[in-house]
Amino acid sequence: MSTFNALMREIKFTARDRTVVFWMVTVLGLSAISLAFGLAEVKHQQATIQQLLDANQQERDAEFEKLKDWGSAAYYTFHLTYDAPSDFAFAALGQRDVQPWKHRIRMLALEGQIYERDVGNPSIALIGRFDFAFFTAFIVPLVLIILLYDLRASEKTAGRYNLLEATVGQSSSFWFLRAAVRSGALFLCLIATLFIAGMIAGTAVSKLLLAGLWVLIYIIFWTVICFFIAAWRKPGSVILMTLITVWVSTAVILPALSRLAIDKLVPVPPGADILMMQRETVNDAWDLPRETTMNAFFEEHPQWSDYQQVESSFEWQWYYAFQQVGDQKTRDLSTAYQNGRLQRADIAAWVSLLAPPSLLERSLQALANTDLNTSIDYEESVRAYHAALREFYYPKFFLNQPFDKALLKNLPKFEPNQ
Amino acid sequence: MFVYPQHSGFNAMKLQTHSLHITRSGKEILKGITFAVDTGEVYALLGGNGAGKSTTLLSFLGFLSPSSGTIQVNNKDVTSDVASARKMIAYLPESASLYEHLNARENIEYFLQLAGTSANKNDIDAALDRVSLAAEARLRKLRDYSKGMRQKVAIALAILRDTDVLLLDEPTSGLDPSAIDEFHQLIRSLADSGKTILMVTHDVYGACQVADKIGLLRNGTLVGEFTAQGEESIDTETVHKAFSSSIGTSSHAEPA
Repeated sequence: MSTFNALMREIKFTARDRTVVFWMVTVLGLSAISLAFGLAEVKHQQATIQQLLDANQQERDAEFEKLKDWGSAAYYTFHLTYDAPSDFAFAALGQRDVQPWKHRIRMLALEGQIYERDVGNPSIALIGRFDFAFFTAFIVPLVLIILLYDLRASEKTAGRYNLLEATVGQSSSFWFLRAAVRSGALFLCLIATLFIAGMIAGTAVSKLLLAGLWVLIYIIFWTVICFFIAAWRKPGSVILMTLITVWVSTAVILPALSRLAIDKLVPVPPGADILMMQRETVNDAWDLPRETTMNAFFEEHPQWSDYQQVESSFEWQWYYAFQQVGDQKTRDLSTAYQNGRLQRADIAAWVSLLAPPSLLERSLQALANTDLNTSIDYEESVRAYHAALREFYYPKFFLNQPFDKALLKNLPKFEPNQ
Repeated sequence: MFVYPQHSGFNAMKLQTHSLHITRSGKEILKGITFAVDTGEVYALLGGNGAGKSTTLLSFLGFLSPSSGTIQVNNKDVTSDVASARKMIAYLPESASLYEHLNARENIEYFLQLAGTSANKNDIDAALDRVSLAAEARLRKLRDYSKGMRQKVAIALAILRDTDVLLLDEPTSGLDPSAIDEFHQLIRSLADSGKTILMVTHDVYGACQVADKIGLLRNGTLVGEFTAQGEESIDTETVHKAFSSSIGTSSHAEPA
């Protein structure tokens, strides 16, 4: 019998098996639900960004009418920065639940503004979202285990095993084909829903194909594990317990232990320390001699040292200088915080090679630009934009340029990362 | 009549073992049994529980490897080419459990496809007619079948495999008396058409009615063999006496 005929025979047989059909319908339903959650969340985030853009523009138009000098313009004008969800973010929301993806910043000290943010629902941050990446990485292996653990054991229990083995001749290819049809059907359920969601979201086909490839490799991995363990001459209950142990080890224990170990191995300063240090620096500046602040500022901006010495009780260049010095003071802490997070992520990426569920989830998050690297890239884009704002305003302060509202249209515009 | 097995040449035999020893989990199940089944013969292996009947049957299918001795199907060593041996054999396990979510016809179609053959609807119905499975039951799922009805479907499947050799493990278990009679007639007609049949059974009377030869197994040893003479069936009383003796307290059966 040709492989094609054998394949058709097993597909027909599997389609008649109510238990298998039940699990396929369940996977189809749960996959659709996870994707619907993702699409709804992305739509909500896109709507939020659009609302903020509109509100920001309205507020800015109103504010510009009242402005009378460059210092007030810098102080009262808010600037919206955001990281728009990618066209694949619906499938893997990743760090967008716990890392900020929108800010309204001003010309004040920046580091505090970055880390002083809304953190969302902490319970969601703890358990994560039921998105496609989570469902596929953590739940689907359990369904595969249910479908494959008793592939042979159930036939032995039913008294069919010897008859099947005696009938098929080449038994290894028969069992493999039976497992492959079940796994293939599961893969199709996942990929069909993913592609439909992708079409709704307008996802690039290349991205969907790559995601499909990751999922396929992952399904093959678990199929091979289940297939070989199910081939043991052990009762179904023993095989099931063994497979569940493999799942618990790779999906729960190893990621949890590695996280504890990585946190211990790579200490990261608390984000709140950055905020506190910056606030104290800025607040203390009011009581310090002006020269102390300005000298610290000129160390990094010597080009302005010859201009506009601070003489009166309040001058904008002094005010923004101590804001900048606040950032300078916290730079080491902020860099340590960022490097620590990146280092932890790097180690976690290596460890995930031993924990396939984490590896798949991370791969899908990287594809969706919802991983930690993307989040840090966004923070960097905010810093770059803030630096551009300073470059815009500092000449106005230090060269004492006359205020001209028309020049505000030259304010740098935030360009979100693509 | 009862003779001790003395096979010296097996050249034309369809099924044969020679000094077959099989050990499982350190325990010797078969202790050097030697017998042969010729083309068109029905050979019944009789014995008590644990005598090694099913082990002998399964070793022809390559499920159990000999620790020593040989086992052949159509003069080919089973252990060296299990797949070829299995192709020549239709196997009917004890209380054959086919798929409960399929009906009789679907089960037969599926298993025939597994064996690399096929049969059309008429052939399947003809086989089911031969085993007297009621026509109205054929489209019902097997979960609604009695044990006897399931056994009939499995027998029909074995017939449709159209192999040279049939291995039957307690084939009449679950069948009612009239179905057992019909089954014996069927076995006889299959053998007469050239099929080689090896069956294991507890049923002394049935074995005597249908078999050309009966081998009596006790504790993994073939302690005797009975052969039908011409048109006469094997004498039931003799076999019964030897069988009772083999599972009773006496050390071995006495020749008649």
